[in-house]
Amino acid sequence: MAYDDLREFLSTLEKEGQLLRITEPVLPEPDLAAAANAAGRIGDDAPALWFDNVKGFTDARVALNVHGSWANHALALGLPKHTPVKEQVEEFARRWDAFPVAPERREDAPWREHTQEGDDVDLFSVLPLFRLNDGDGGFYLDKAAVVSRDPEDPGHFGKQNVGTYRLQVVDRNRLAIQPVPVHDIALHLRKAEEKGEDLPVAITLGNDPVMAIVAGMPMGYDQSEYEMAGALRGAPAPIATAPLTGFDVPWGSEVVIEGVIESRKRQIEGPFGEFTGHYSGGRRMPVIRIDRVSHRTNPVFESLYLGMPWTECDYLVGPNTCVPLLKQLRAEFPEVQAVNAMYTHGLLAVISTRKRYGGFAKAVAMRAMTTPHGLGYVSTVIMVDEDVDPFDLPQVMWAMSSKVNAAGDVMILPNLPVVELAPAAQPAGLTSKMIIDATTPVHPDQRGNFSTPTKDLPEAKDWAAKLQRLLSETRG
Amino acid sequence: MTDCCPRCAHESVRTLHSSPVPGVWDVLQCGRCLYTWRTSEPARRTRRDAYPEAFRLSSDDMANAAEVPTVPPLRSSGPSQKTGLTDG
Repeated sequence: MAYDDLREFLSTLEKEGQLLRITEPVLPEPDLAAAANAAGRIGDDAPALWFDNVKGFTDARVALNVHGSWANHALALGLPKHTPVKEQVEEFARRWDAFPVAPERREDAPWREHTQEGDDVDLFSVLPLFRLNDGDGGFYLDKAAVVSRDPEDPGHFGKQNVGTYRLQVVDRNRLAIQPVPVHDIALHLRKAEEKGEDLPVAITLGNDPVMAIVAGMPMGYDQSEYEMAGALRGAPAPIATAPLTGFDVPWGSEVVIEGVIESRKRQIEGPFGEFTGHYSGGRRMPVIRIDRVSHRTNPVFESLYLGMPWTECDYLVGPNTCVPLLKQLRAEFPEVQAVNAMYTHGLLAVISTRKRYGGFAKAVAMRAMTTPHGLGYVSTVIMVDEDVDPFDLPQVMWAMSSKVNAAGDVMILPNLPVVELAPAAQPAGLTSKMIIDATTPVHPDQRGNFSTPTKDLPEAKDWAAKLQRLLSETRG
Repeated sequence: MTDCCPRCAHESVRTLHSSPVPGVWDVLQCGRCLYTWRTSEPARRTRRDAYPEAFRLSSDDMANAAEVPTVPPLRSSGPSQKTGLTDG
C-alpha cells in the first residue's frame, strides 16, 4: 500500500487502531508536546495523536507521533503493524534494491488551493505553531522535507536534495535554519554563498509517510530521495512543480513554503532540544526569507516531538540509518550480515560480520566510520560475530562481556569529525571514535580461549516450536 | 504576562501573533534574542523570575555565539547579486 499523502496514511492508522483523537480542549503548551512525549513512554505500539480542539485556535489540526512506534513505522511501509523491527529493516533493505524508481509528475497538487505571497505571508495564520521543549528558543518546524538544488548543477535531479532540518519560526515570514555542515543542503549553501547568491528552498510540510522517511535518510550526494521513495513505496513517488522556485516537491504535501536562504547572513538561533537528547543552540545560523506559501484547505500541521530517546524521531530515523550503512558496507565487504545503527541516528552502531582473517572486523568498523553518514555520525562501533543478532541487545552484551579483551579489542581514534550536535564532542564537530571488537579472533589473531564455544543444540529449534505449540494449547 | 524577555531580560518585546479566539493568548518575541513565547505557557517559560538559569542568555552569550555554518570566503571571481530564485 503506497500512500500518496498524509491524510490517506492517517486514515489507515485510524482503521488500524493506531491513531488516537484527543477531543478534549488542550492548551497549545505544554499539552501538545507533553502528549507526544508521553506517547514515547507507553510502549512499542503507541498511536499517532490528533488534536483539533486547541485553546485559542478556531481551526487547528495537529498530527503528532505519526511515525512514533514500530507499529506505525510498519504501517508506513505498508507492512502488517506487528512486523518485528528486524524484519522491517530487512524488508527496507530488500526494497532498496529497486532504487532508482522514477517519480510520477502530477499537476493537480492539492496545496495549490491557497496562496500567500510577499508581504501577505504569515505562517501563524496558516499553521498552529507551538513549542516542544522548555528550553527551545521558539516554535519549530521539525518534520519538514526541505528541497534545494546544487547551484552549480541546478538541472541535476539527483543532486536536488530533500532533507529534514530544524527550522525556527523567527517572524511571520522568516525561519532560521540549521544546515549541519555534513549534510547536503550545507554543500548547496556553501556554493551559493561563495558566489554571494541566495539559495532558493522549498519547504514541504505534512507529507506522505515515506517522504518523511527518505528526507531523514543518509543517501549519496547525487542520489534522489524521490527515486528512493519510489523504491520503498513500491510505486513512483508523486511529485509536482513548486510555483516559485520550480523545484520538485511532493504532490501530496499539506503546505509548501518557498523562499531563499539569504546569502552570507547569520542570526541567533535556538536552543532546540535535539535528537541527541540534549539541547543545542545559542549559535548564529542562516535565515530563510519566505516569499510564497501554498497550502491546502484546512491544512494538517504535522510535527514531531523529540527529546530524551526514545521518541518519534528515533523510530523515524532508526531503520533508515541502518540500511544505507548495511548497503554501503556490503558493497565492499559481503561478509557483513546486519547493521543496527538505531541509536541517536547512528552515533553508535552494532555490526555483525563473518571474518575474512584476523583484524577484519576492526577494518569493517573503520569503513563504517568513513561511509558518507559515518563521517559525521558513527562514533562507537561494536563489532559482533555473524551468529550474533545486532538487534538483540542481550546477545550483543554477551558478545561484549565474553569476547572483549580491552588491550587488543578497543581502539580509540582521536580527533575525527562528528556532527556539531554530538554532546560529547570536544570541540564541537570533533570527537574521538571507538571500536569495540567483540568478534571471535581468527587466524592469525590467536588471542583468547575461544576454541570450544557452546552452541544451541541441533534439536533445540524443533523443541522451541514444540514448546510454543504446547504453551499456546495450554493457554487456549 | 511579563514586561521583559524571560530569557535575556531585554525590555523590547513585540507581539508576533494573537489568538484567533480573541483574548486567549498572544505570541510575544524578544527584540534582541528572538526568544518567542505564548502568554498562556507555564511560568517557567514566560516569567523572568521563573525562567531556568540554564537557558538564560546574556548579551555576551549572543556576542560570542558561533556561526554555524561559517560564512565561506567569496570566490575571487567576485559576487553577483542574483537572488537565485529564477533558476529552475
